[in-house]
Amino acid sequence: MLQIIKIEWLKVKNYRTFWVFIGLGLLAMLAPNFIIHDIFVKNIPKEAQQLLGQSMYDFPLVWQTVASVNSYTSGIFSLLVITLVSNEFNYKTHRQNVIDGWERRDFVLSKLFWVVALALLAFLTSLVAVLIFGGVYGKAPFSMEGSRFLGYYFLQVLVSLCLALLVGMLVKRTGLAIILFLGYIMFIEQILVSIVKRFFGNIGGLFPLQAGDELLPFPIVEKLVKFSGPYDSVVYLTALIAYTALFIWLVFRRMLRTDL
Amino acid sequence: MSTILSLNNISKRYGIVQALDGVSFDIPAGSVYGILGPNGSGKTTMLGIVTDVLKADAGSFTLMGQTPSAAQRRKIGTLLETPNFYHYLSAYKNLQIVANIKQTSEQDIPRVLELAGLVARQHSAFKTYSLGMKQRLAIAAAMLGDPEVLILDEPANGLDPVGIAEVRNLIRKLAQSGKTIIMASHLLDEVEKVCTHVAILRKGKLLGSGPVNAVLSRDNFIEIGGPDNQALAQLIKQHPAFVQVLPAQDGILQVTFRETIDPASLNSWCAQQGVWLNHLQMSRKSLETAFLELTNN
Repeated sequence: MLQIIKIEWLKVKNYRTFWVFIGLGLLAMLAPNFIIHDIFVKNIPKEAQQLLGQSMYDFPLVWQTVASVNSYTSGIFSLLVITLVSNEFNYKTHRQNVIDGWERRDFVLSKLFWVVALALLAFLTSLVAVLIFGGVYGKAPFSMEGSRFLGYYFLQVLVSLCLALLVGMLVKRTGLAIILFLGYIMFIEQILVSIVKRFFGNIGGLFPLQAGDELLPFPIVEKLVKFSGPYDSVVYLTALIAYTALFIWLVFRRMLRTDL
Repeated sequence: MSTILSLNNISKRYGIVQALDGVSFDIPAGSVYGILGPNGSGKTTMLGIVTDVLKADAGSFTLMGQTPSAAQRRKIGTLLETPNFYHYLSAYKNLQIVANIKQTSEQDIPRVLELAGLVARQHSAFKTYSLGMKQRLAIAAAMLGDPEVLILDEPANGLDPVGIAEVRNLIRKLAQSGKTIIMASHLLDEVEKVCTHVAILRKGKLLGSGPVNAVLSRDNFIEIGGPDNQALAQLIKQHPAFVQVLPAQDGILQVTFRETIDPASLNSWCAQQGVWLNHLQMSRKSLETAFLELTNN
């Protein structure tokens, strides 16, 4: 596995697009928190602040706030996964890697490495964001209460990256894969969720990305309208883990059998 | 002699096209094995199956006497179809990736770059390369780690005449050093100059395989010419070993004999009959002619 990671590193080390994506991804995780912090904490009138109760960026609420905000912006890493996968198909280097002496399994593992690495990067960046906003700007003392939200966030990013991996492997063409993926995360799933929720009830909340959303309600909005799902958290967590396993299984199945 | 590659009843179908139909043959170690066939005859499909980028519908094969796996592929230098590299990386960095996949030392990279004549451009991005340079890089990649077995699919693709001659010399040198070379080509001239064995494919079917002269029967013939070729044609029919005479280009006659004829004795025989030859050359039916005869049947 170390050998595979070294080879993946050689592939991206001098690839400018990769670094642009990483930079943009990190920015997209930190910047919105600054903006929301500015609006809801710094510039909000004192009276309104009292009405809302505790500040969103105070411990322990800050865990949930950062996780919830970042769950909207970490799609950038998914686009990076699609780019890395479809590059291989465009350059036919997926074939060459196998010809030169990788098992097909190694090729899948090399891309799964990015899924895990980017999910960890998103998780760690969010952790840093929690510590910065909670520790530097927050008025409440540090607390681990609510840190589970960051765990939910990690799982949601993992599902989203696995979905990107699957789309990349199935579609192969960069542009089409990105459009399909963006279409799915931006509105197709939302439409499906609405339809299923309307006709079949709460089970509509168990779509891959929706399951994560149900676990990560935005703190203040949650108070105004009932936002979090009706099932126990365990149900959503199980769904997230099941989707991750399913997507990875489909990717292996596809790559081990098909003509490259 | 041990067997490098042994194919057993390999079949592959793409929709309605039967790309390979029950192909079986063995490639002995140390041979230069040409896989011949017209475009679309299944050559690349066959090599794709051997390198695990394609899955056969039926049949099996062994590499170096073992069940094929990545470990064997790492010991084979392969150039399949088009050169596949990361466009944004330089030649050197692309070869670093290949060396790591092959689990061979990166220290071999300067040698293969030198061999391919790419030293001056080794730090330019692959996307800036010409077609010929890309092909050279692919050959360099196949040579990394000095493998004992090479699979070369149309190695002269995109090369200029100098490049083609260089590749041919390279293949000869490699063959002399005892390496096994499996080469697919539709350029028969190339195969004729380097191959010891051939397998011939047409529409996915194996027409024949084995040593070149056993597969493609190529009778010796002699080209002769005299001051009056019509008289010479009449005369040569009286030669005791005569089989056939055909007019060749430029008023020369192509004569086939039952047995190998010594040119000196033929010259002397003609002179005794009163005809002095002004052209006398031993020749062989070209591989191209033999190949066309075989594949057109």
